[in-house]
Amino acid sequence: MDYVEKRVAQEASKPAAADDSLFTPLNVLLLGVLVYTVYTFFKPKVPVALPKEEPAVVFKTFTPRTLLPYSGEDNAPVYLAVRGRVFDVSRGRNFYGPGGPYANFAGRDASRGLAKGSFDEDMLTKDLDGPLDTLADLTRDELEALQGWEDRFSEKYLVVGKLVAVGDENKA
Amino acid sequence: MTFFDQLMLHFDEGVTGLFGQWNVYSSLIFTLFAGFLTYQIATRRDPDAHPFLLARQAQPSAVRQEGESPVYRSQGAPHGMPLNPGLNVKDPGVSKWAKGRDGDLRDIWRQAVAGVQEDGPSKGATGRILTVLGSENVTEHRLDDLTRQINLIGQHILDQGGNRVAIYLPNSVELIVTLFACAFHNLTAVILPFDQPDDAVISMLRRSAADTVVTAPGSFPFDHVVKSYPSLRQLIWVVDEGSAHLDWNEVPQGTGGSVNVSTWQDIVSDGPADAGKDLPPLESQKEARDVTIFWQSKPGSAEEMVRFTAANLISAVTAQIFAIPTSQRMGPSDLFLPADSLANTHTLVLTLAALYSNASVAFNSVGAGANDLVMATRGIAPTILVATPAALLKTHQETGGTLTSAIARNLHSIQTRSLTQDGVMPTASFITSYYDRYRPAIGTKPGKLRLIFTAERVGAGTPPLSSAVLSDLRVYTGARVIYALTSAKVAGAAAQTGFYDYRVFNDNRSHFGAPLTSTEILLKDTATVKNADGQSRGEIIVKGPCVAGNEAALGVEGQIREDNTLAYL
Repeated sequence: MDYVEKRVAQEASKPAAADDSLFTPLNVLLLGVLVYTVYTFFKPKVPVALPKEEPAVVFKTFTPRTLLPYSGEDNAPVYLAVRGRVFDVSRGRNFYGPGGPYANFAGRDASRGLAKGSFDEDMLTKDLDGPLDTLADLTRDELEALQGWEDRFSEKYLVVGKLVAVGDENKA
Repeated sequence: MTFFDQLMLHFDEGVTGLFGQWNVYSSLIFTLFAGFLTYQIATRRDPDAHPFLLARQAQPSAVRQEGESPVYRSQGAPHGMPLNPGLNVKDPGVSKWAKGRDGDLRDIWRQAVAGVQEDGPSKGATGRILTVLGSENVTEHRLDDLTRQINLIGQHILDQGGNRVAIYLPNSVELIVTLFACAFHNLTAVILPFDQPDDAVISMLRRSAADTVVTAPGSFPFDHVVKSYPSLRQLIWVVDEGSAHLDWNEVPQGTGGSVNVSTWQDIVSDGPADAGKDLPPLESQKEARDVTIFWQSKPGSAEEMVRFTAANLISAVTAQIFAIPTSQRMGPSDLFLPADSLANTHTLVLTLAALYSNASVAFNSVGAGANDLVMATRGIAPTILVATPAALLKTHQETGGTLTSAIARNLHSIQTRSLTQDGVMPTASFITSYYDRYRPAIGTKPGKLRLIFTAERVGAGTPPLSSAVLSDLRVYTGARVIYALTSAKVAGAAAQTGFYDYRVFNDNRSHFGAPLTSTEILLKDTATVKNADGQSRGEIIVKGPCVAGNEAALGVEGQIREDNTLAYL
């Protein structure tokens, strides 16, 4: 309080040097603040731009040979085929990608394996250049299981292509 | 004193010295500053639509075919969900949560007569049907009277063996009544664009195989038609009050002995007074019949004949109802005026949507094709208007020409700023009341107009409306403007700008917004224009339940812009 009293006395004893002009330093400062505020409010707003969406995947016709590279290695997407439809299962990379439990299905026709509920090597078609697996010898239960799997895939994953045998690409 | 104490003393003296200079001007500046800040904060309004919603208005599909773009859909009908097929009509007595029927034209009239169904202050409210004759004379038609006319006319046509009814009338209540009469009595309606040269009329009659014509005397080349079109069996004249005393049943000598001629008024007044008060019952009604329309491209070229099923029209009506946010939808307090020919499906679909929403509807026979909005809206104060781009451009040019003074231009730019920067419609305040004298005189009470629909017709040479023109129109009329893309094979619109989209771009023709909830749009490669990843360009193809044949190519090239809206190339 001592200090305050001393300072008040000091200021009061000063001659009254009131400067009545518009452009005192304080006024210039206040004007600056006012102009800046007006400018900020009336500045034309930059239109908002959302980041661009990912471009759509082109629907392709695959053969067993061309499907093979899409097994998740080298950061490739993971595709697998069920009954002629190729699904993009990259979101399930933990399961279908390299090192996953179902990695055998990646880049292959998984229909027989899903129907029989087995991940063995002998569920996959050996001859990549031959005709597709017709699944003619599956029992009704196996076909039902396959349909269930296909429905789940349809709900979860995107269909990005169709699978035809080598040599059939140009047929409708 | 220590260094720190000295420092603080210097600081103290500096601050005190600075603020010691406070004088009158400082107080003034500070008051201005505080006032400005308070005003801006107090009058700040949130934009009508979040900018992120406007920045991405349609949803592309995740997969696209080779040579095509992804399929774009409205945010209201995302991929995986079916497009809007129907009105979800619930029959009386059915639970509120049951799934309704798709409905057809008959349900639209039933809803118009029944009134608002939702519980609330406007339950049971019906709209009024008005006819505007000139600037003074506005007649109202009672809904049960119109129901009677629907029944009597439909029954008369059926009794005389009619099957395909051609309607060649200007915008009038009789057009709508005949359309509903055909719907209720299982007749096929054919709507012909009005005021066409004689041979065009005959060619349209021939192509549509109409056996009945409902028309107005003076515009229909009766003699010529009877000579050249022998399949005509029945003719119904819609005669106005002034000519009612003439005998219209008399057929001139040597002409059309096989044509059965009657007048609308005779049919309606000959029927017993209590006949036809009830609509045919719901249970036994047969499947709805098609409606055929003729699409006019450039004047002089042949019209294109398109058959729309009832499902096409209903899907389009539903999409137009859903295109408007719930709080702004048409209702009993609205007056809808079609200032564009009802032979255009866009206008017809909007009129049906207005009837279904229990809005009041006014018909003005001058309105069709009139390029003057002021003349088309004389005598009434519409709240919702359907206008042609030519009429809007004329209004824009006239109003723009009067805005010469600097004050008016400043006011205009302030209001435009409100639209483009703040994203809200400009409010009426004391200052902007000076601007009101420049507003176009649309309707008897200009302030009532709240929504204007306008449509670009593919291939018909409609003048382009740039987004700057649309924004100016919003400021001039104080109403929101929706710009739609319409085409021959699409009932209603293929794409439409958003209700709350007020953005202005540097373009010659505004974009057309996002697809409706009843359409999906894709662009196909043409010889000159190709799609690329992330860049969709090509011929516009529209698919959906409101398209005749479920898929149609519009024959014009378009592109998808950054915000996923459709525009011409």
